[in-house]
Amino acid sequence: MSTEHPVQAETPSVEPPSTPTRRTFIATTTVVGGVAVAGGLVAGPLTPVAEEAVAAEAPPGSRVSLTVNGVRRTVTVDNRTSLLDLLREHLDLTGSKKGCNAGACGACTVLVDGRRINSCLTLAVRLDGAEVTTIEGLAKGDRLHPLQQAFIDQDAFQCGFCTPGQIVSGVGCIKEGHTGSPEEIREWMSGNLCRCGCYVKIERAVEQAAGRK
Amino acid sequence: MSQPQAAVGAAAPRVDARLRVTGKAKYAADNSPDGVVHAVLVESSVGRGRVTGIDARAAEAQTGVLKVISHLNAPELPPREGQFPPGEPLRPLQDDRIRFFGQPVAVVVATTLETAQHAASLVEVSYDAEPVSTDISAAEPADDPETYARGDADGALESAPVRLDLTYRMARNHHNPIEPAGTVARWDGDRLTVWEKTQYVQGTVFTLSAEFGIPPDSIRVISPFVGGAFGSAARTWVQSVIAALAAREVKRPVKLVLTRRQLYFGVGFRPAYEYELRLGGNRQGRLTASAHDIRTESSRYERHSEHVLEPGRMLYSTPNVRQAYRHVPLDVSTPWFMRGPGYASGAFPVETAMDELAHELGLDPIELRLRNEPADDESTNLPFSTRRLRDCYRAGAREFGWHRRNPKPRSTRDGDWLIGMGMAAGVYDTQRSEAQASVRLDADGIALVQSATSDMGPGTATSMTQVAADALGLTMRQVTFRLGDSLMPPAPVHAGSQTMASVGSAVQDGCDKLRKQAITLAVGDEDSPLYGADAADIVVRGGRLYVKNNPTRGETYQRLLARNNRSHLEAMGSYAGASEAEKFSFYAYAATFAEVAVDAHLGLVRVRRMVGVYDAARIINPRLADSQAIGAMTGGIGHALLEHTVTDHRDGRIVNANLADYLVPTHADMPEMKAIYIEGEDYEADPIGVKGLGEIVIVGVAPAIANAVFNATGRRVRELPIKPEALL
Repeated sequence: MSTEHPVQAETPSVEPPSTPTRRTFIATTTVVGGVAVAGGLVAGPLTPVAEEAVAAEAPPGSRVSLTVNGVRRTVTVDNRTSLLDLLREHLDLTGSKKGCNAGACGACTVLVDGRRINSCLTLAVRLDGAEVTTIEGLAKGDRLHPLQQAFIDQDAFQCGFCTPGQIVSGVGCIKEGHTGSPEEIREWMSGNLCRCGCYVKIERAVEQAAGRK
Repeated sequence: MSQPQAAVGAAAPRVDARLRVTGKAKYAADNSPDGVVHAVLVESSVGRGRVTGIDARAAEAQTGVLKVISHLNAPELPPREGQFPPGEPLRPLQDDRIRFFGQPVAVVVATTLETAQHAASLVEVSYDAEPVSTDISAAEPADDPETYARGDADGALESAPVRLDLTYRMARNHHNPIEPAGTVARWDGDRLTVWEKTQYVQGTVFTLSAEFGIPPDSIRVISPFVGGAFGSAARTWVQSVIAALAAREVKRPVKLVLTRRQLYFGVGFRPAYEYELRLGGNRQGRLTASAHDIRTESSRYERHSEHVLEPGRMLYSTPNVRQAYRHVPLDVSTPWFMRGPGYASGAFPVETAMDELAHELGLDPIELRLRNEPADDESTNLPFSTRRLRDCYRAGAREFGWHRRNPKPRSTRDGDWLIGMGMAAGVYDTQRSEAQASVRLDADGIALVQSATSDMGPGTATSMTQVAADALGLTMRQVTFRLGDSLMPPAPVHAGSQTMASVGSAVQDGCDKLRKQAITLAVGDEDSPLYGADAADIVVRGGRLYVKNNPTRGETYQRLLARNNRSHLEAMGSYAGASEAEKFSFYAYAATFAEVAVDAHLGLVRVRRMVGVYDAARIINPRLADSQAIGAMTGGIGHALLEHTVTDHRDGRIVNANLADYLVPTHADMPEMKAIYIEGEDYEADPIGVKGLGEIVIVGVAPAIANAVFNATGRRVRELPIKPEALL
């Protein structure tokens, strides 16, 4: 499907009413160490839009504060924006992948307040005050998360595209304690598809990181 | 002097593993050049006919929409000619004709993805729709079949003491890599840069060059990471051209990523077929004749062919063979090669029929196959370069415990589960194409090797690094291999299991040349400890050149280059590809064994165990080879039991165009699996002795499972996928 149904949030737009020639933009403000940095600007059209645009309204947007990989971010988002698109298109965190945009493949899996979720199915406006951890937030500097290292040790990926989602999902699976047996790991990892067929090795990697191996 | 082998054959971890596990590997859609805007396609909601009108006013009225482009306002592109496959390729928004449901009819470009998506839903398209023909069973084939014959198949069938007359069907499958097709296109004046999901960066250059009528050297295609493809990115599809066209129109970089649903209409599929197979033999199990009649899907605007007939032509000794391959032109998008193309499709009827014949004759299925092992390739009369299929049977039977199989169907139970074992052979041709690779060794002793190849998952960068390291006498850490940029030396499409043989041979050639340059420099340098030594006696290891029988006499690349004031050495490696007139028949082989459990009441099939044994000749990296084989067995479970694209023949729409309804194997479906590679090389095939392995590992998986289902249930299902209702 080429489109998603826009979801109207109750929060009123913080954008002023638009004019036909006005550039719409979504500002992303990042607060790092107390200094506000404007970044991730998505500029609007350089040319005037068509004349029918006279009647158009700017899309409803909302202001959201959330913590992503330990960094507080305050952003004004289009209410239709998914967490995945916020991460990928506005915060330059492209590690989380869009495989189906419908919650069926798990490539977009991130942790929100410690729980694994499909970020493609989660509207960013819902996440005020949330703590989000993505694949980019797992390693401590150069030191990989034990599950990242286990993926390398077990060769638990081929093309690598589903890998960020598998790893974040695996971190959630371990935290949930669903690692009592290979069967249990397989069951609780089944929301993450791998088309290269690395499941056997992913299961071993989760086992390794869970300390069962 | 040949180089010591240290890196090749080692189970080395992937050189780019850290990038892939940290989310830092940049796939096509991860690129956002400054000022990038978003494009979303509007697709046809009829399967055939003409567009009679497009009302884009509501879409254009959305704040942030830059342009809605359709055939009504798209710039006219120059005519295209001489394309593969034969036919008229789909052009980007150039006319009002609808050839298939889901065909792009317009593109919306907007400053944000959300706006582009919403605006695309507002574009009203009206059609003059015509009835569609999308059902292979109901449509007539084209009247010019591709045929093959040797001997008198019909006569021999007539007189055969044992005769089977069977019809097999296979559903359409979709590649469904997890990464969707995606393009980011940017024009800088007349120059075009494209970040693209592609298995063939230079192929994408050729297509864009032909579409826009601009010189190839004004186009750069970048694709360092490919998130799975299985063939779907081995062609540059129309949406890539639309992205570039849109970028030119709005004068901004454009990102266009297909939705999962759109992938079912736009990037090819493994075509469905009906395969009539007649097999004749004697009571001792010697095949005397076979006749193969295939009807397979193609689009109406292009003719797509695959090597479905090859297994039935050369896998077993059969004096009389007749084959006909008929295209059924339908109102669908053009099919395209999917992992193990042709061979994986053709192995299902051939290998199931062999199992049926074995059952009919009361012979062990392996014994039947051994009795029909050919001495040479009867389809070409060429000797096999290498054929270790017997070894595959032997090793597989031992590892799997084949002797425990009860040949009587429906005779083994585990509670409610009926247990069965099956096996099948597989074959895939060893393709090789022309390739080049550049090699540069810097004064610090670090080498850079580059070729415009791709890595959709097999670990190309890793295996090439291994080949380069040995040929240069360096460690893997001292070598960097780069790929995925059309500015690099040419490489063939990363498909057909030809990358290792083709690019690997070019890499080895370039590294050999560079090493010999260094040796020549050393033996002619009065200040070198190697001065005056016979160049043929010198080997390089760990970056140090030395006389093989006198290892203390030598020096490092670094010292040699520094003393000679050389900042670097460089060389271009090349490989010519397969020769025009081959002297051998080149194939890789497989034997796959499967144990299944079938719920006696529900018909549910669970694969419990699989063993795959392969003759793929030399294995560059056993760790990567293992992952490929395990992955292919996993994919084969989908092919055998799950994957089925369902079309509504009223209008040609695919009704399960998503990953919730098109079933693929999941974690929970995984059996115990083991892969074994038969040792050996094939230096007739190529200088590095490989036969390719990405395809062969999936050929035969589906029939092995199907044969196990028969052994478990006594029910012979001649249709893929095998669904529970067929077993009730």
